[in-house]
Amino acid sequence: TGIPCDSLHSTGGGNVTQVPVAEGKSVQQTVEMLTRKLELLGAEKQGTFCVDCETYHTAASTMGQTGKLMYVMHNSEYPLSCFALFENGPCLIADAYFDTLMVKLKGFFQNAKANKIESRGTRYQYCDFLVKVGTVTMGPSARGISVEVEYCPCVIANDCWNLLMEFMQSFMGNHAPGVPSVFGTKHDSIYSPADTMVQYMELFNKIRKQQQVPVAGIR
Amino acid sequence: MADGVLSPGVNLEAFSQAIAAIQALRSSVTRVFDCLKDGMRNKETLEGREKGFVAAFQESLHSVSRDLGELERLSNLVGKPSENHPLHNSGLLSLDPVQDKTPLYSQLLQAYKWSNKLQYHAGLASGLLNQQSLKRSANQMGVSAKRRPKAQPTTLVLPPQYVDDVINRIDRMFPEMTIQLSRPNGTSAMLLVTLGKVLKVIVVMRSLFIDRTIVKGYNENVYTEDGKLDIWSKSNYQVFQKVTDHATTALLHYQLPQMPDVVVRSFMTWLRSYIKLFQAPCQRCGKFLQDGLPPTWRDFRTLEAFHDTCRQ
Repeated sequence: TGIPCDSLHSTGGGNVTQVPVAEGKSVQQTVEMLTRKLELLGAEKQGTFCVDCETYHTAASTMGQTGKLMYVMHNSEYPLSCFALFENGPCLIADAYFDTLMVKLKGFFQNAKANKIESRGTRYQYCDFLVKVGTVTMGPSARGISVEVEYCPCVIANDCWNLLMEFMQSFMGNHAPGVPSVFGTKHDSIYSPADTMVQYMELFNKIRKQQQVPVAGIR
Repeated sequence: MADGVLSPGVNLEAFSQAIAAIQALRSSVTRVFDCLKDGMRNKETLEGREKGFVAAFQESLHSVSRDLGELERLSNLVGKPSENHPLHNSGLLSLDPVQDKTPLYSQLLQAYKWSNKLQYHAGLASGLLNQQSLKRSANQMGVSAKRRPKAQPTTLVLPPQYVDDVINRIDRMFPEMTIQLSRPNGTSAMLLVTLGKVLKVIVVMRSLFIDRTIVKGYNENVYTEDGKLDIWSKSNYQVFQKVTDHATTALLHYQLPQMPDVVVRSFMTWLRSYIKLFQAPCQRCGKFLQDGLPPTWRDFRTLEAFHDTCRQ
């Protein structure tokens, strides 16, 4: 299975980070602060985005070992694809029909419906950057804020890290993060959408472990 | 516009009176708009003000219609200059009675006037352009065949094999740069230069002179739907559109009419400095981004990276 070509641009270097909610403000207000700063910079709104993640447990009995967690994720940037990944393992990029396949595999993978988590928000474009600011919700409650920044022209992850950092600092100030783990392992290989999804998965896991009230936690 | 002597169909005196009438008409129209702009004069009662305004407005409108009538009367007196210009044989075309359907003669006159103007403007332009020597080849254009020295080597006509050899040698010069040569459209070579995993450059050549370049991202498609090299469409990314402009500046900068292979080598060396397009900060301001763009300018001598707005 490969990715059907459904986006206008290939993925460039990207980074997903969590922004802590400002003191005394709600999630909504912090998101508005960020988007206002982006618009002041000159970014243009270009629609909305949604990234969601469902958790599946492997049935322990069949494997003879402790059950592993598998995540099935969708990204509106790649509407025809579906991403399936294990925590430290490979990431499969499949066709969107993969969801129906998972239903058929009910015997082996059980859906933990309560763990479904998603991030929704607006998409901005600034020069060659694509910025997605989203509210992370689990069920009915908003649990945090995710910011994804992608620099489209560059395909090597390590090359443009400094550039990305500088851009993020211009609108996120001190909340700009450190180097994500994904970059460490891939020295000069081409960035792919799977890397973005791995970062989202780590972000969602982190938010899940947090308390109900969002606390400052930068990665 | 009267050129030279008018033929005896035109009443010169009526003509000058008509011009004066046009000026009178213009001033009365201006007066109408002035009256509107000034609005109502300050009088004691509102009714007095309104009456005064309406009276002034009507007066100015009347003077406009008077002047217009006078102009029409005079224009009828002026008469039409006949088109029987002594143009010898072409004047015979005007003898065609069906003027409406085949207005050959008047179209001919217009085309002639247009081409005269074009020649005049082209002469002016070439005078201005010759002040700047933009010649990249050693050929002398515009010198008549008799005066051109016979033993001048023409670098514009080189055997394709020679061009291939030069390009192959340059291909081997730098490990991170690969050059593919093809000739899909006749004898002009088209190069596809791939620089690391950063960018791709399409170079269109004319013998050993670089004619045009287009810079695109590594992940962008450089082929058309037929599988041929796409030499026209621009990059989707602003950074590479900027680099394309800089590359065009570079190919005009590196000039050496007698040694075009040195020129190509210099251009490729300059191009190679873009391998660090996303990693190098600007040498002047120290930052990576300026208006969302990384330092896209490479100095022609030192190959240092600058933002487009930071370069000296």
